[in-house]
Amino acid sequence: MIVRALGVAAAAALLLLPLAGFPYTTTLLLPAFGYAVALLGLNLLFGSTGLLSFGHALFVALGGYTAAALTGRLGVRSLEVVLITAVVIAAVVAVPVGLLCVRYVKIYFGMLTLAFGMLFYSFLYKFYALTGGDEGMRVLRPVLLGQPLAQLDTVAFLTGPFYYYALGVLAVAMVVMRRLVTSPFGLSLRSIRENADKAESLGISVPRHRLAAFVVAAIFGAVGGVLLVVPTGLADPLLAYWTHSGNLVFMLLLGGFEHFLGPVLGAVVFILLQDSVMSVTSYWRFVFGAILAVVVIFFPRGLMGLLDARRTATS
Amino acid sequence: MTSALLEATDVRKFYGDTCALDGVSLRVSAGEFVSIIGPNGAGKTTLVNVLTGLTPPSSGRVRFKNVDVAGGGPARLARLGMARSFQLVTIFPGLSVADTLAVAVLSRLGRSARPFAALARDTELRAAVEEVAVLFQLGDKLGRRARTLPQGDKKLLDVASAFALHPDVILMDEPTSGVSTADKTAIMETLVRAAERMGIRAIVLVEHDMDIVFGYSDRIVALHQGRVLADATPAAIRADAAVVRTVLGIAATQGRTQPETASNRPPTSEPDSRTPLQQC
Amino acid sequence: MDQRLEGLTLLGILLGGVFHAAVLFLVAAGLQLVFGVQKILNLACGSFYALGAYAGVSAVRWALGAGLPAPLFFPVLLAAGLVLALLGPVIERLLRPIYGRDESFQLLLTFALVLMFEDVIRFFWGTAPHQLGNVYLAYGQVRVGGLTVPTYNLVVIGCGAAIAGGMGWFLARTRFGRVLRATAENREMAEAMGIDMTRVYARVFTLGMALGTVGGALVIPATAAVNEMGIDLIVEAFAVVVIGGLGSMRGAFVGALIVGVMKAVAIATWPEVEMLAIYVIVIAVLVLRPAGLFARATA
Repeated sequence: MIVRALGVAAAAALLLLPLAGFPYTTTLLLPAFGYAVALLGLNLLFGSTGLLSFGHALFVALGGYTAAALTGRLGVRSLEVVLITAVVIAAVVAVPVGLLCVRYVKIYFGMLTLAFGMLFYSFLYKFYALTGGDEGMRVLRPVLLGQPLAQLDTVAFLTGPFYYYALGVLAVAMVVMRRLVTSPFGLSLRSIRENADKAESLGISVPRHRLAAFVVAAIFGAVGGVLLVVPTGLADPLLAYWTHSGNLVFMLLLGGFEHFLGPVLGAVVFILLQDSVMSVTSYWRFVFGAILAVVVIFFPRGLMGLLDARRTATS
Repeated sequence: MTSALLEATDVRKFYGDTCALDGVSLRVSAGEFVSIIGPNGAGKTTLVNVLTGLTPPSSGRVRFKNVDVAGGGPARLARLGMARSFQLVTIFPGLSVADTLAVAVLSRLGRSARPFAALARDTELRAAVEEVAVLFQLGDKLGRRARTLPQGDKKLLDVASAFALHPDVILMDEPTSGVSTADKTAIMETLVRAAERMGIRAIVLVEHDMDIVFGYSDRIVALHQGRVLADATPAAIRADAAVVRTVLGIAATQGRTQPETASNRPPTSEPDSRTPLQQC
Repeated sequence: MDQRLEGLTLLGILLGGVFHAAVLFLVAAGLQLVFGVQKILNLACGSFYALGAYAGVSAVRWALGAGLPAPLFFPVLLAAGLVLALLGPVIERLLRPIYGRDESFQLLLTFALVLMFEDVIRFFWGTAPHQLGNVYLAYGQVRVGGLTVPTYNLVVIGCGAAIAGGMGWFLARTRFGRVLRATAENREMAEAMGIDMTRVYARVFTLGMALGTVGGALVIPATAAVNEMGIDLIVEAFAVVVIGGLGSMRGAFVGALIVGVMKAVAIATWPEVEMLAIYVIVIAVLVLRPAGLFARATA
């Protein structure tokens, strides 16, 4: 199948990129891994459950600031500890936020999630003493699997060990998400998306399933956020801004929100496209807005939808 | 000592000032096939909504297997063993026939929330899905997406998925509406046979087609303007002049037309008919 | 927001809050109108607001430079806002392809507009803030209950109230207003009665846009036009709409007052929690009256 072939080729390309000696492109792609993990979560929420969140960036920011607080302020450098802490914090925050938001669907859900994201942004921006305000919080180089690797300079660290670490986290995230989506839980979510009343009449507790999807999405968002801030070394409030959430949705739509490979494709294409457009014009937002409009109107199933006309993320 | 599986006692339902149900009492025991008839606006679908927990009654009790379930929500009732099918076809448009039935089977097996089990490798699931599909003549359409099915098959799928819960009681809201007369008998036969195969203990049917009603029911409950006009065997109903006049006369002319209200919508503040019912 | 009011007395806070509420009402009313009739939540309403502000600055600067006497700046602002709304039908045409589609896609298309408008504004006006300086003082100041308040602020409050009243009258008494209410209530029935949806949608969208651009234009003497003003405002507009109830004009009015005053109080007492204070109310409303204070019977 053409998709499988392309997928294998892309995976090989990603694996070999750092060795090919293009440090610029390699560093450029690093955020794509973080975004891809975050988008896997968003895909569960939107693609599987039908809930469009405009506040997913809240959890990305949560992950980023967790990394900053642990490495920069508390001296905890182990990336594994940071990731696990981010997972826990995301779950803890997602439960009350989710409880309030999943009672609503569609427009209201979008508005509420946007609002919560902006609430967090406001907190990050205004509580200067705690969060560093608009200057953000520094993220120090983490320790990967117990190896400080102090002998490597930043570029070597990022384009070498960290690149493969991030790729590894992405791979694990994809495997976990694949299992979730092809499980009874995933099917229940899809049934809720298709017809919530019918799902309920068949014995499925709709609010509970939606909340679970919300929490899982939040966890993936936070893990993505951790990966996102390590290359830049900075967690700043704009991570939580609603247009950042909007860009996340954009990426997902671009890649293809029903398809399993959509998130990765969307993240990579978005990052690469952004870089090329920015080198041509500073008005990249206009170009991207136009691209989004075209995608929404003509290619709502995204790139994976084009490549794989009949399949969806289901088994 | 009550042996009723499903029992509604003095149920009232108001939508604002409008009275949709005015003191309806109903008992369904194991082994019974009960039909609910009445003209449009009589409150049939509201009654089904109350019985299945979709709509909480304004007053009165609903007990299922001796458990109070009024307003309990359809999910809880489904897990207790009550299933329903909807008047307007209610399916999962984007899911395949197999997946649709799988949702029901997983619910029955209590596995709906399992996050890591692999669906594709669940042979027990697949067998159960095939069994139900075959009973409803959908066995060769398992891979097709529900929205691509012809209307009659969509209806069957709606009912089949409810049956797949192996419920104790199933309530069907006009399962043959929108279906040609020739197919109606075929569908009813399928339903009855499936019910026997799956050990369904009681059937409650809302129907306009009097041939079906009289042909299958053990008991008929005639509703009119939110009240029970009569609750008796088919023969007694036929002999009841009041019923014949108010219900059968009206119902017979309405029986061949499509229902005019989307009266299976989830709880809103709207009455289930556009005509104002009398005050209670 | 830069209130330029003397003193932090309760009256000062209230007046500042009501001033902000007046502008917020205009933007929220535009949002409500478009949602009520077209069932689209227009994320770009903030962008219209920003566009109106920037255009207002340019228009007044040009007019004053061309010799216009200072007190006439106000009609120029209004004109700038209204003229921008001529773009309404054009933008509405861009949205047409997705009218029948899922709400999520409609939302995303308006987000595309947000992105595009961000750069349109940057293109024409750059990234530095633009402001009108002290033009608003052309109307002098007035003493209200011991406070010295710029008359302009009261003009804006009056204008907002007048527009609110005008909208109410328009929706209740004019034929088009009735058409709008009918469409909002039941679109299929309105269509069946022969109402031309294409024209209705174009007009409603334009009206909604006008409310946003005028709101932005009116606020500009009191504050600076900055790149983020549009995307910043969305959050408050949503708070207004959720508190008041989606689709309700009255809700926009009351919601705007609540949010405006709440924000002013928060800024005066504990600035860090400004947004939190507003959203505590939003959450309270959602928990107690999920459809908003002035919920419509049919969604």
